[in-house]
Amino acid sequence: MSAGPLSGVRIADFTWIGAGSYTTKLLADFGADVIKIETSRHMDTLRSTGPFKDGIAGINRSGYFADRNTSKRSININLKHPAGMEIGRRLVACSDIVANNFRPGVMDRLGFGYESLKLEYPKLIYLAMSMQGAAGPHAEYVGFGLTIGALTGLHNLCGPKDCAPVGTGTNYPDHVPNPTHAAFAVLAALHFRNRTGRGQYIDLAQTEPTVALQGTAMIDYTVNRRIAERCGNDHPNAVPHGVYPCRGEDRWIAIAAHDDVQWAGLAAALELAPETTLKWSQALIRNAARDEISNWLVSVTRERDAYELMQLLQTHGVPSGVVQNARDLIKSDPQLAHRRHWQTLEHPEMGATLYNGLPIHLSRTPGKLSRPAPLLGQHTEEVCIDLLGFTRAQYIQFEEEGAFE
Amino acid sequence: MSSKAVVPLPCALEGVRVLDLSRRYGYYTGKLFADMGADVILIEPPGGCELRSEGPFMLDRKDKQGSIPFNFFNTSKRGVTLDLDTSEGLARLHKLAARADLVIEDAMPGSQARYGFDYASLAAIRPELVVTSITAFGQTGPYANDCANDLTLLAMGGFLNMMGYPERAPTQTYGEQAVAIGCMFAGVGAMLALLAAQTERRGQHVDVSIQECVTMATENASQAFDLEGRVRSRFGDIQRHAGTGAFACSDGYIYLFAGGMGAARFWVNLVRWLRDENVVGSEILTEPEWRNPPYLDTPEAKNIFNQIFPLFCANKSKAYLYHEGQRRNVPLCPINNVADVINNEQLRYRNMFVNVWHDCIGQNVLMPGAPFKMSESPGRISRRAPELGEHNVELFGSVAGEHA
Repeated sequence: MSAGPLSGVRIADFTWIGAGSYTTKLLADFGADVIKIETSRHMDTLRSTGPFKDGIAGINRSGYFADRNTSKRSININLKHPAGMEIGRRLVACSDIVANNFRPGVMDRLGFGYESLKLEYPKLIYLAMSMQGAAGPHAEYVGFGLTIGALTGLHNLCGPKDCAPVGTGTNYPDHVPNPTHAAFAVLAALHFRNRTGRGQYIDLAQTEPTVALQGTAMIDYTVNRRIAERCGNDHPNAVPHGVYPCRGEDRWIAIAAHDDVQWAGLAAALELAPETTLKWSQALIRNAARDEISNWLVSVTRERDAYELMQLLQTHGVPSGVVQNARDLIKSDPQLAHRRHWQTLEHPEMGATLYNGLPIHLSRTPGKLSRPAPLLGQHTEEVCIDLLGFTRAQYIQFEEEGAFE
Repeated sequence: MSSKAVVPLPCALEGVRVLDLSRRYGYYTGKLFADMGADVILIEPPGGCELRSEGPFMLDRKDKQGSIPFNFFNTSKRGVTLDLDTSEGLARLHKLAARADLVIEDAMPGSQARYGFDYASLAAIRPELVVTSITAFGQTGPYANDCANDLTLLAMGGFLNMMGYPERAPTQTYGEQAVAIGCMFAGVGAMLALLAAQTERRGQHVDVSIQECVTMATENASQAFDLEGRVRSRFGDIQRHAGTGAFACSDGYIYLFAGGMGAARFWVNLVRWLRDENVVGSEILTEPEWRNPPYLDTPEAKNIFNQIFPLFCANKSKAYLYHEGQRRNVPLCPINNVADVINNEQLRYRNMFVNVWHDCIGQNVLMPGAPFKMSESPGRISRRAPELGEHNVELFGSVAGEHA
C-alpha cells in the first residue's frame, strides 16, 4: 500500500467553515500534508458550531468541525504579528498549494494574495473559493451554503408543489458540490504542473458548481423558455415515483417504477388485483392515474415495516429504498458497514468519536483518516521547529511576543 | 510574436484519454474530464444510450439528438457505438482501452465481466489503466445488486430524510443530485488514481457507491447522533434559528442567514438595517439576549423575529432586499428561479454561461460552462455532445462501428 497519492504535497490551508475545510480534508485524507492556519482571535466558526461531545460546547469539541478537518495539522498564529507573518511566509514557501475561501481581497490584506506570491513561486497552485468569484459586481457579497442554494435556483426547485420552496434542508453546496469541484480543480492543476512545471490560480465561485448541476433546467429555459418548477416527488416519466408512509413514527419508503416491467413487479409484490394491474400496465395510462396509484400505494404501505417492504420489493426488481436517518445509517445499515464507512478515531479531547470514512474506495492507494481533527494550535510547535526550521529559542520568543495568540 | 497571442491556452487535462461507458449514472464524471480538455470517448450501444430518450427535449423534438440532459452531460466528448455483445465490439473496446488512461463505467456489479470490461480484464490489457466504477451501492456487499434510482438513493443515503416538511413525506431535490453526488466524488477518485498512475505506472480500481457518497451530504447529522444522541430530521420552511430562514417578499422569497453561531458576526448588521428602516418592533432586537446565539434557537426568539421581519419583507422585491442587504453585509439571497439565474449579473460577468452550436436545431444553446476558472489551463466546452456514432469513422474507419 502506498503512502497516498498526494504524499509529498503540502497545503498551506487558510480555509475555514464548510466548503474550504472539506476540500483540503479530502486532499489530506489522501496523503497531502495539510497545515491549517488558524488564529484564536478570529476562530473558525465551525469550532463553535455543534454538535458537541456530550452536548458541552468547546472549541475542541465540535463534531461538525471534526468531521471536516481530519488528517490535518493546526497551527495557531496571529498573521498580524511580524513573527506570525514570517511563519506564514515560510509555510507558503514550502507549500505546493495555498487554499482559502475568504472574500476577495482578504488574502491580499493578509499579505498572501496570489499576485504577490506568483512571481516568487511560479509553481504554486493557488485555490481561491470566494462565494461569487474573484471579481464582478457581486464579488463582495457574502453567504452560506443555504443562501447559495437559494441564489443558484436549487432551493426553489425543491419541495411540494403546494408549499413554499424548501430546498435541501442543509448547506448542500458546502458539503458536496464545492469541495468536490475544488478538489478536482486542484488535482487537475497538479496534473498540469507535473506536465508543464507551471502553477496557477484557481478561482472557484461557490455558486458555479451548483449552477452546473442544474444544466438541464438551464437549457430548458434558454432553448424552450420553460421555467422549471418544483414538483414534489414526481418524475416526468416514472409512475409511481414517490415516498410513502410505513409503520412507525416518521418512517417512509421511496418507490419508483421506471418501466412496465418494474410496474409488473410492484403490482405482483403488493398483490394488486389482476384487473387493476392490467388496467395500469402501460406507462401512459399510469401517468394519467398518478394520484389514484399514489393513493393505492399509501393504503398498502402504511401498515408495513419499511425494511421488510424494501426487501419484498427488491426481490421483485422494484427500485425502492427506506428513508433512512442518521441512526439507521450508523447503527443498522449493513451496506455502509460492509464498506466500513463509519470510523472511530481517538480525539485528544473528545475521546473515541465517529467520523465519516472516505466514500471513494481506491484499491491500491485507498487513503485514510490519518488523524482526528486537530486541537486549535495543536501542531504550532512541531510545524515551527521541525518543518519551518525555527529554533526552540525563537519559538519561545515568538510565544512570549504573542505571535500565537 | 503576434500569432502567439491567439493560440488558446492549453487545457489542464489535455492528453488524458478517457473511455466513458456510462449507461445510467456516470455521465457527469466524464463531463468533468471532457470540459477540462481530456479526450473523452462516450461509448454507446448501437441504438444509443437511454439518456438520449430522457426529456426535456430541445424545441420539444423527441429524436435521438434532442435530449437536453444528454446534450448537457456529454459536452466535449466524442461518441462511438459498439455492440459489446459481439466479439468485434469487445475487441474494439479492448483496442481503445489499450491506449486509454481512464475508464468510467456504471454497470451492475458483476455484469462487467460478461461484457469484458471488468477491472481484471482491462488491467490485463493495460496495467496503468484506472477504472472508475460508479454504482448504486458499490461493487460488493448485501445491497450491491439492489434496484435503485436517484430517489431511492437519496433515501438510503440519509439525505432525503432532511428535505421537505415535517409531518409530511420528505421531498427530493432537483436534478438527480444523488447521482450527481456520486459523480462528483468519482471525479475526485479518478483524478487521484490518475496522478498515482503517472508516478507509479500502475492503475487501480476506484469503487464508488452513490449511497455512501450521499451520506456526505447529511451535514452534521451523523455527529449529532454520535455526540448528542440527536436524530436530525427535516424542518420545512420554519426558521433554523431566529434570523435564518426563507421569507416571502413582494415577488417571491428570499433566504436570510443572519442567525446562528456561524452567522453571529452578521447579526448586528441585520439589526442596524431594520433600525435604519424604522421597522416596527425591531427595537427589541437590540436587547442583549439577541447577541447570544443559543437564544436565537428558542421558539420565543423565532416567534418574535417572525412578527417583525416578514412584515418588513412583504412589500419589497427580491432584488431590493438582496442588494441592500448585501450592501449592509447581511447574508441574504433571493430564492431565484431558473430565469433569474440565467440573467444573474454576476454569473454573466464571469461568463458562466456559454453558447454551444447545435446543428440539430440550427441554433446556439446557452448553457453552464466550466464550473471553475483556471488561469493557466482554463476549461472549455470544446464541442457539443456527439450524435449517435458520430466518431465511428474517425475512430474505427467505418460508419457502422458496431458491425464492421
